[in-house]
This record gives sequence, structure tokens and C-alpha cells, in this order.
Amino acid sequence: MEFLYILLLSPLPIFISHVPDPAPGLSSTREEVRSLDCEVLSQPQAHELYPAEVAEARARRIAGPSDSVLVCNRRILAPSERPARDEAILSSLRQTMAEMVQAASALTPGEPVWHVDAFYPEPAVGVKIAVAARTELAERGHKVSDRVPVLAAGDLAVLSGLPGSKAYPLACARSFAEHVLSDKEALLGLMILDGRETQLHAGVCRAGAWRWLR
Amino acid sequence: MRRISLVLLSALLPLVARAADSATVEAQRAQVEALRKEVAGQLQLQAYDLLDELVYGWTQAPVFPVETPVVLADVTVPWGFGSGLQALLENHITGLLIKNPRSHMRLAHCPACTSMVVRSGAKGTVVSRGVDEPEALSAASAQSGSHHALFLDFEVEGSALVLRARVTSLEPSLPIVFAKTLSSSTSTAALLRSDEHLKSAAEARQEYLDALQGRGPLLVPMRLGIRSYASRPGDAPVMSAPFVWLQLGAELSLTQTRAWTASLSGGVSWAPQLHTAFLGQARISRLLTGSVTSLTHPDLYGFVGLSVISVHGQSALAFQEKVPTLENLKLQLTGNEPTATFSALQVGLELRIKNRLGAGIFLENLPSLGSAQAIGRYVNLGIIQFQSLGAEVSVCF
Repeated sequence: MEFLYILLLSPLPIFISHVPDPAPGLSSTREEVRSLDCEVLSQPQAHELYPAEVAEARARRIAGPSDSVLVCNRRILAPSERPARDEAILSSLRQTMAEMVQAASALTPGEPVWHVDAFYPEPAVGVKIAVAARTELAERGHKVSDRVPVLAAGDLAVLSGLPGSKAYPLACARSFAEHVLSDKEALLGLMILDGRETQLHAGVCRAGAWRWLR
Repeated sequence: MRRISLVLLSALLPLVARAADSATVEAQRAQVEALRKEVAGQLQLQAYDLLDELVYGWTQAPVFPVETPVVLADVTVPWGFGSGLQALLENHITGLLIKNPRSHMRLAHCPACTSMVVRSGAKGTVVSRGVDEPEALSAASAQSGSHHALFLDFEVEGSALVLRARVTSLEPSLPIVFAKTLSSSTSTAALLRSDEHLKSAAEARQEYLDALQGRGPLLVPMRLGIRSYASRPGDAPVMSAPFVWLQLGAELSLTQTRAWTASLSGGVSWAPQLHTAFLGQARISRLLTGSVTSLTHPDLYGFVGLSVISVHGQSALAFQEKVPTLENLKLQLTGNEPTATFSALQVGLELRIKNRLGAGIFLENLPSLGSAQAIGRYVNLGIIQFQSLGAEVSVCF
């Protein structure tokens, strides 16, 4: 009988000091785990952001190597709530824009006025991408315009029949030739070239020359 | 007949299946709609927080040196959400700017700025929003005195809500004069602030910590409790009356969220003609309902403790190993009152409300009184027996 009590009570300390595990198991299904967004932070960082959940690092630890903390938050929207391609693009928008804007500004000499345009099958998502790029450029201290350079209808009719790899360089050349963009302006174009891909491409148009960034 | 039945069944089956399919789709739609409402509710608070932080930033470092009329050109909500959330956010930013004139932004009414305008020129005809074609607005004298437009874009990126705000000058080249990205993942934890008294992220975080910690790591709990001791089945020579205890002590939070606490207390119990008793107790408590004390719901703690109890008076006879005899009574008559000192191991549960009020129940094992003639057992778990049962209410200062 005593053995039975010991057996029943022995898991109690485990439940008392229970930390939710972000792996599928008894307490969480695979679907719930898939909706987690996890990142590894140092203990001081984790304490700063989540003071209720992560204890303050000891002074000795701060000076030396600190423990890392796996922080998992539930995604605001479940993975199946938005189209998969839009979700993939939007969920990493900040990071993608930071990389692209850094590359664009590093490869573009001088200090042009930047214009941004996004070419994406879903117009609402395209606007989100362009806004993110403009904001990122402006926050980094570049001169940015909200105006979107627009080519004439005849140009657009020709360009729409070309593959992306040829259409964007040609559009860039036409923009410069038609004075839609001057030599003091640059256009950062963001697009997907294949409807099936979930990664954005980027290119810069400066003085009529198109340069792919990614 | 059998063949006819089969034909009828095969004809009806697709109809039944279609009806079931449409019911399933309707149920799925209802489920998605319910989920969307729930998410929008959480999102709204996070979005309010980001707007608060944005306007607080403007009050500390205004974009414009003097009060400037600005058109709220666009508020876009996360992809997949509707205009209901958009209207709430528009109202919130409007309220914030009205109540915080130090932001130096005054919202201007400009219906033409957000409507579609048509402008024909030498290069062709352009149809666009007013804020995207300032020339068309100025030609129509429709700018309402405002020369700047404010754009707010909210987007869900994984577990974070991101706000991208920009202010554009309404001149032909549309230069962006201010841009800021704020994310709920790098911001402070959600904390609703008053519109009139916005706080910095650091101040909001400190408030959050203060709310979590209650009134500091040290509390002074005062407990009023009652303990009753089980009597032996059959003919017990004496029975112990319940003891009413008043305890006062100090409780220290061992973690910043009061997940673990430790307390030391002293208590006294007095009953006329029966006893005067003293108690010293140490207790360690663990929060069972989550890892953080709740700001809105009662918290349940489990605790273990060790007590030393000293009883002076007639009640002490019940805690003695031998049956009271005439000798005991004789001693009492001559002024030598009986005493009993024993220890108790305690386990229990306590429900706390915001670390101010509490109510608890507990069981006690009295290891030194296993052979006391007058003390029985309430609970017998084989390896441990609980001879005492108690309840208490506490107020923390």
C-alpha cells in the first residue's frame, strides 16, 4: 500500500516545477506546436522581455557566458489562416526588408532619392511589402519618396508579355529614358518571379541600369 | 425489389453527402469567424499599446517644431482582418492625438485626401487617392490646410504585431519626413495606459513589474486559524478541544513572481480555563496555478511547513502519551499545570487574492504523538498519518 502511495505521489515535484515543453507530447498536439514561434535569447535579454517568466541573471553570470533561454510564443494567426505564400512572406517581412535594404543601400553609390515598388500577385500584400521597404529605408536615414514611378500604358502592355528576368531591366531602362526616374533617383523593386516561390527577389534601378540584389 | 432499393440508395447518397458537406463548411466558417473575433480582441490591445508608444515618442521628440495639421491618410490592419479593427484603431489614434497636444500633431479633416481623384495632364490621366496626387488636391484646393499625411500599417509577423508609421509631406515628390517601426516583440508587455498620461516603455515595464511583485518582496501575513485534533475511536480518556490560533509573521518572495514564497510566523492560542499555547512555524509555498501570480484571478498555492507547538493548561493532557491519572489531577490542583510540547509537519493549500487576502486548509502530522492515547488520525496514508486538520484565513499587510 505504501509503495502505491509513493508511486502515485512521486511525479508531484515534476508537475509542480513544470515548464511547458514546446515539443509535441501529452500536453500539446502537433498542430499546437506548429503554431509556436520560437527563438533563443540570452538570459538577460529574456528577463528584460519576459520578467514574469524568466528570472534575473546572477551578477556573476552576466559578466561571464550567460545561459540561453528558448522563448516560444504562440503565433497570432494559425499557419492555416492565411494563404501559405502570403504567410511565409509576411511572417519574415522585417528580417527580409532589413537584409534587402542593407544590400540595396550598400550597392548604390551616392545618396539618391529612393522609390519603392512591389510586384506581388495579391495587391494588398504587395502594398504591405512596399510600405515595409519604404519605412526601413527612411528609418536608416535615406531620402525616400512615397511616389511610385509609373510607365506609360504602352510600355506596360509590352512589359507584361515578357518574362520577369527581362521585363524588370527593360522597365528600368524605359523609366530612365522617359524621365520617370532621374539620375538622382533610384528604384528598389521587390517581387516574386514564380508564383510558386515563397521568397522575395529584389533589384535596384539606377540611371537606367537594373541590378539584381537577390 | 432489392435492385430498386439499391438504385434509390445510390441516387440519394450524393444528396445526403452534399447536405453534410455544406453543413460542415458552414460549421468551419463559423469556427473561423469565432477564431478571428478572438484573435482581433487580443490584437486590438497590442495595437493600442503600439499606438500609445508611438504617440509617447512624439510627445518626447515631436516630428514638427510647432503644432501641424496632419491628415490621417491610411490605417491598414493585418492582412485578413476587416474594417472593424481599422475603425477602432483610427478612433484610438485620434483620441491619443487630441489628448496629447505635446505631440504637435493636429488631425485635419480632408475627405478628398482619402478619396479617389482624377487628374488629367499632358502625360495622361491619373486616377489615384488624393494623398498620392497632391497636385490634384492643391488644384482643387482640397487640402484643408494640411500639408502632411500620416500612414499607419499594422501587420502580424509570426507572434509579433508590427506597426509601421510614416509621415509624408504632401508635395509633388511626396518625401517621407518621419518613419518608425514598432513591434510588440520588442516592446513592453501589454499594459493598457491612460490616454492622457502616456508612459515610456521603461516606465510601463516598471509598472508591470510592480504589479507582478505586489507590494514588494516582503509581506506581513496575519492568520486566524483553527486546528482540531482527531480523537481515538472508542473510549478516549480525554478529548482535545479545537484550538483557535492568531499568527503573525513575515513572508518573503523567493522569486520575482511569487512562484515560491517562504514564511516564518509566531502564534498564540488562548482558551479560558483550558490552555495558553504558543506556536512557531516555518512554511514554504509553491504557486500551483501557473508560474506567475495572476493579476486578475485568485492564485492557488500548495505549502509544506514545520511547526513547534507548546500547550500549557488542561488541554495539554490530551497530548500526553499516558492516560490522565489521579496523579495528573492532583498536580493540577497544587498549581503545577500540565504542559505539552510537540512538533507538526504541515501540508496544505491556500487560495490567495492579489496577495492581500487568503484562505487555506491543511493537514498536520504529529510525529512525536504517534502513541498519544487521546489523539487519533484523520487521514492514514500508511507511511504518514495526519492527526490534525485545520483551516485559516489570512490578511497580508
